[in-house]
Amino acid sequence: MDLPSKNNQFTTLLANEVLTRVERMRLNSTRRQTNRSRGEHLAGKGGTSTEFSDYRDYVPGDDVRFIDWNIFSRLHRPYMKLYQHEEEMHIVILIDASSSMQLEDKFERARQLAAAFGVMGLMNVERVSAYSCAETGRAPDIMPPCSGRVSLKRLFGFLEGLEAGGSFAIDNAIEAVLRHHRGRGIAVVVSDFLTFGELQRPMNMLFSAGLEIFGIQILAPSEIDPEIAGDVRFVDCETNRTLDISSAGDLLGIYHEHRQILEEELSTLCRQRSGRFVSLSTEDPIESVLFDELLRQGWVQ
Amino acid sequence: MTEYLAGLWSNFMGWMSHWFVAPILITLLPLIAVLVLFYFLKLKRPRKEISSLALWRQVINDQRVNSPFQRFKRNLLLLLQLLLLLFLILAAMQPFYSGGAERAQYLPVLIDCSASMAAIDKPGGQTRLEVAKEHVKELIDNMLTDQRLALIAVSSTAQRVTDFTDNKRILHDALDQIEIVNVPSKFDDALRMTQALARTVSIETVIVLTDGNVPPQIDFELPFELNIQKLPIGGSNLAITAFNARRSKENRWDVFVRVENSQHEQLSAAVQLKQNGAVEGDDTVVLDPGQSQRLVFQVDSAGTSALEAILIPDQFDSLASDNVAYADLPMARDLTVYSHLEMGAFRHALAAQSEVALFPDDDGSRSVSSYDLLITDRTEDAELDAIVTLNVGVIPPDLQQMISVETGLVEVVDWNRSAPLLQHVQLLGVQIADEPKKGEGVTDQQFEQLGYEILAYGRAGPLILKKRVGQKLSFYLLFHTDRSTMPYRVGFPILVTNAVQIALRESALSEVRAHSTGTLPDRMLTPDETYSVIAPDGSKREFQSNSSGLLSGIAAPQIGRYRIEEGGKRVANIGISLLAASESSLEYVDEIQFKELSVAASETMIKSNQPLWPTLALIAFCLLLVEWWYFQRRPGGVSA
Repeated sequence: MDLPSKNNQFTTLLANEVLTRVERMRLNSTRRQTNRSRGEHLAGKGGTSTEFSDYRDYVPGDDVRFIDWNIFSRLHRPYMKLYQHEEEMHIVILIDASSSMQLEDKFERARQLAAAFGVMGLMNVERVSAYSCAETGRAPDIMPPCSGRVSLKRLFGFLEGLEAGGSFAIDNAIEAVLRHHRGRGIAVVVSDFLTFGELQRPMNMLFSAGLEIFGIQILAPSEIDPEIAGDVRFVDCETNRTLDISSAGDLLGIYHEHRQILEEELSTLCRQRSGRFVSLSTEDPIESVLFDELLRQGWVQ
Repeated sequence: MTEYLAGLWSNFMGWMSHWFVAPILITLLPLIAVLVLFYFLKLKRPRKEISSLALWRQVINDQRVNSPFQRFKRNLLLLLQLLLLLFLILAAMQPFYSGGAERAQYLPVLIDCSASMAAIDKPGGQTRLEVAKEHVKELIDNMLTDQRLALIAVSSTAQRVTDFTDNKRILHDALDQIEIVNVPSKFDDALRMTQALARTVSIETVIVLTDGNVPPQIDFELPFELNIQKLPIGGSNLAITAFNARRSKENRWDVFVRVENSQHEQLSAAVQLKQNGAVEGDDTVVLDPGQSQRLVFQVDSAGTSALEAILIPDQFDSLASDNVAYADLPMARDLTVYSHLEMGAFRHALAAQSEVALFPDDDGSRSVSSYDLLITDRTEDAELDAIVTLNVGVIPPDLQQMISVETGLVEVVDWNRSAPLLQHVQLLGVQIADEPKKGEGVTDQQFEQLGYEILAYGRAGPLILKKRVGQKLSFYLLFHTDRSTMPYRVGFPILVTNAVQIALRESALSEVRAHSTGTLPDRMLTPDETYSVIAPDGSKREFQSNSSGLLSGIAAPQIGRYRIEEGGKRVANIGISLLAASESSLEYVDEIQFKELSVAASETMIKSNQPLWPTLALIAFCLLLVEWWYFQRRPGGVSA
């Protein structure tokens, strides 16, 4: 995968044309998980924004500033004018930077997607924070929450500076991120989700933390459709553990079954928690992913 | 303990030798352990780095549950190598499928090539010999590596075609050279030859391939097992089994042709008789299975003439060689008889015989160089050349130590009434004044050993003896008829007539028989002269008569006319025919009786031992190919 050159591009992660289109997009949250701080997301509850919501009878103790005096003059009864509350939404981007993501441009695709989601958040006045988990036992690389267009440079700088390599499993990474994060909103988890660990617990933790889960699985073509045969010794790039396979060609059918099962499990985990899940190949062009697939699936608008 | 183990091992090897030529090579089996060791030492899989083993671990777990042969499959390459090694070891041990054939290392194969083996089973079909050759070829092709075959062709004699050899090319070439010999089969010589071979190598079993047309009794003590393999019998057959002629009048002959049918079906045929190439008579015969018929033709012949009987079957006839027979009629003449003038009784009896020329004349003047019959009581007359000699009162020189003649009255105790000389001769009551006595301890067997046959017995010894030397036949009356009552008995002229008849037959003046294949009849010719014998097929061989002019012992295996020439000039023309009823009948014996036991012929042909090592080697080669394919097939999309 060729990234744009730095010389004539705003960032090496996304081409200027892509970036221009992404800036006009916004994340389509289903749960409207918002924070108390004011923002541009309607909170679904009464507030003091300029957006009218409804009327109700006045009861003693109500703030008289919100009485609709025009109606009072006509009906001689006080009615309260209700407005929608607009709050800020937090977008947490978690990038799996373990060694497994180094395989066949998976990490680059993860950074691109993180950049695109970050841009959407910042351009829509959300609070955006980013985390990258690489080595077990080492604290995640963190981009603290920021907002506004001014933070674009900061976001791109953080993402461009990330390095992959390590054995941080994604389940542990989610838990580690949640130890640092505060705020409700959307958690965009970009990983290959190939882990021996149990994903149900970290997913529950994300849900409990008020984060809507946007799970993005990135797989390399050799993982989607491996071409192997004969006797092979597989080496896990994170743990260096080995597994001897005989007649590997005969096992491809079972492999595909298990990969499908994993996708379905991940999708179920996300959907059960009002989230979304998508599995992408590094072969798919970023434009196609952002402006076609995610758009069609309602991830963005 | 060691001895016990050695015994066990020996028994095991003996047991294995029923299926393997080289069972000792089972000791190569430990190589399997070595192979397994090397396999695991050398097993190197290509490494492939992947992002996580998580999925593949699940795949393996799942596959192990689903496939009980996973372990097996994981080491498929090892399995193939093990199978390859196993098949190679098995092939090296040279297993064979025992089809009932002999496992003996040295195996003589006796192939009957007598006249009946030329029989075919259908028009244009194979002869029995060709069928036998096919079976022997199969035996040769499936010969185990440690086996040696010897081929022996059996006709009336035996001919060792090859020594014991494992060279298949030699055996095949020799087999191809075996041809039909038109003679009756006789297995004695072949068995004795095999017995002689058994003195040099260990022979346990002898295979005999025959159509079963063999003598039912063989005077032989079997020192080995005889495996008689009877070939399928030929078809129906009509044959001339006898062909002879008898003079009926001075220049007239009655010719007898016996035609026999085999046991298969009713057959008919035309029979032609040719004299010097011209058809003199023909007839037809219709014979039920196993029946025979004698046809009589009459021909006139003053001089020598060649007769030929031809059988022309109307249906399929499986054997052609017995459809023709040859005979030669001699020139008609009187029997020449010499009897000394003093032997009045004999001369008187001879004078009454017709067609007899008696010598010498009463004045003693007329004589010829040789006589057909010589009747004498003088030892000096032995120098006279005669075909049949009747010695009266003469003790043969070689018996003079064994017999003494004393004076005394003796009677004939017993005599051979069926002997041609004594047929219808009543000797009972004949008084003889000479009494021949055997010497002390002399037995009858000693006479037989010297070639004498006792025709009449007195109380103390033989009275009449018979001896044949070559073509010459001699009778000895050990008493003089003049000192007996015999000349006064009716039997005396009968005795003389019998002697004349014997002389007529011996000199072929009254009766002619066709000669059978085997050897040419002996012939008296010029002494020490070289003669050419030209066979019916045109082949020519040189023979020399002996000092007395006898030309004998000339093999005549072919059917047809043999010519004897001297310097390009024909001396004799002798017709040779098969005339073997046993061969022409195409009958087979189910059991041959030997001295101590009988051997049954098996109709089921032996299935030769099938060596399995080529098959095993082929399987091993296929396994090698599979293994190569398995090892080489797409390295697999496995990136280096």
